[in-house]
Amino acid sequence: MTHTLHRVGNRENLQGDYVFLCMPSKDINHVGSGPKLRKFLELCLKNNCVTLGDCRKGNEFHQLSRENMLDNIEDRAVVTATFKDKQAVVAMIEDLKKEDLGLSIVISGLVDEVGECCSKTGLKMHTVEHSMGRWGKTEKLPPQEILEITTMCGHSMISVNFISEMIDEVKKGKMTAEAAAAELFKPCMCGIFNTDRAAKLIAEIAGK
Amino acid sequence: MQINKETCVNCGLCVSRCPVAAIKTDTPSGVQIDFDECVECGVCLRWRVCPTDSLYQQELKWPRTIRSIMSDVLTIAEESQISGRGTEEMKTNDVTGRFKKGWVGLAMELGRPGVATRMYDVEKVAMAVAKEGVEFERQNPITSMMADQKTGKFKEELLNERVLSAIIEFGVREEKVPAILKILEEVAPTLDTVFSLDICSKVGDDGAAPHVAIVEDMGLWLSPNGKINIGLGRPLVKED
Repeated sequence: MTHTLHRVGNRENLQGDYVFLCMPSKDINHVGSGPKLRKFLELCLKNNCVTLGDCRKGNEFHQLSRENMLDNIEDRAVVTATFKDKQAVVAMIEDLKKEDLGLSIVISGLVDEVGECCSKTGLKMHTVEHSMGRWGKTEKLPPQEILEITTMCGHSMISVNFISEMIDEVKKGKMTAEAAAAELFKPCMCGIFNTDRAAKLIAEIAGK
Repeated sequence: MQINKETCVNCGLCVSRCPVAAIKTDTPSGVQIDFDECVECGVCLRWRVCPTDSLYQQELKWPRTIRSIMSDVLTIAEESQISGRGTEEMKTNDVTGRFKKGWVGLAMELGRPGVATRMYDVEKVAMAVAKEGVEFERQNPITSMMADQKTGKFKEELLNERVLSAIIEFGVREEKVPAILKILEEVAPTLDTVFSLDICSKVGDDGAAPHVAIVEDMGLWLSPNGKINIGLGRPLVKED
């Protein structure tokens, strides 16, 4: 499951896109992890996350409310949240250190910037994973500007055709870029589709 | 997924929601799901977009069941016991020690992003890298779909199944990485799909992840963004 990797973008727009993931490990620390996973999401909310989700039971749209999502977290869940700036990342790491949940935490984002955030909080990166891009029949892929949006759902739940439809609605003035981003978030069950970055990207494309 | 044509009003609202464009409008019965193209991801149904609730999940039988495992993010795979298509991989490396010093993790996600793949293309890549003697990750559902884990040969009845993506995953010693990447360069043009490739390793005492130098030495591209395990899991794994 590499769903928070492979987000396409340039340095500038990736600077507004960080994903936190919290995960227990089977047979090591998963027993009783449910309340800790919930605490993680509460810390994300405290630090003004953009979106949040539960990869096991689905996002708040699927579970009909944010409260349901928080109440339904199970021991083997993988929970996530997105953030839009480095200040929030640093604050989040500080809170996680204080809370000492004991569960694995993974941050996806510009590697050098996440490294900087770790240094500021006295942490060292433990393991790093990079994307080596897309190989094979790449002519089947949509244009770069659409990839930047669709790859924010790593499980590819957001269709390219629907993204184009939403961009058209924004171009016609029938919808705001923010409303389009919120609509596109719905099928992203893990909640890692960063609606703040998506709205900016949609507005940019629609404005061309 | 199927559409109940007795209640469907052919409004077409579901059409653009399908991640693999398997819902067609130009059929003799109006809006219809191309059963062979559908990957059973569940997106159209979960979106609650149908005004007459005509979309329904039919019973899935082997080998079609693997479409749901590899496409529907909420399906729990028996091997990993987690949702999604992969494993804990580097995400819990601070407590599992799966990728130790001197080792590199590699994963090829066939069909990603959004192109989907037939399993015969997954087999092509698996058989190519198997020649280097890699040991496929046992907790990955893909590995149990192989008829022979030594050769990477898949069960015959699975080869034409279409899935949103499938991850071939393994760890190798650092010195083996260039040979594996060369193999991937050779096999990539033979595929009818794409794959997203990722690489990981434990950060050394010098603060660097060893895979970075290996990839850079080969002149290959690495993304500026990535995934970082920040070592807060407990108990922290100790290496001998």
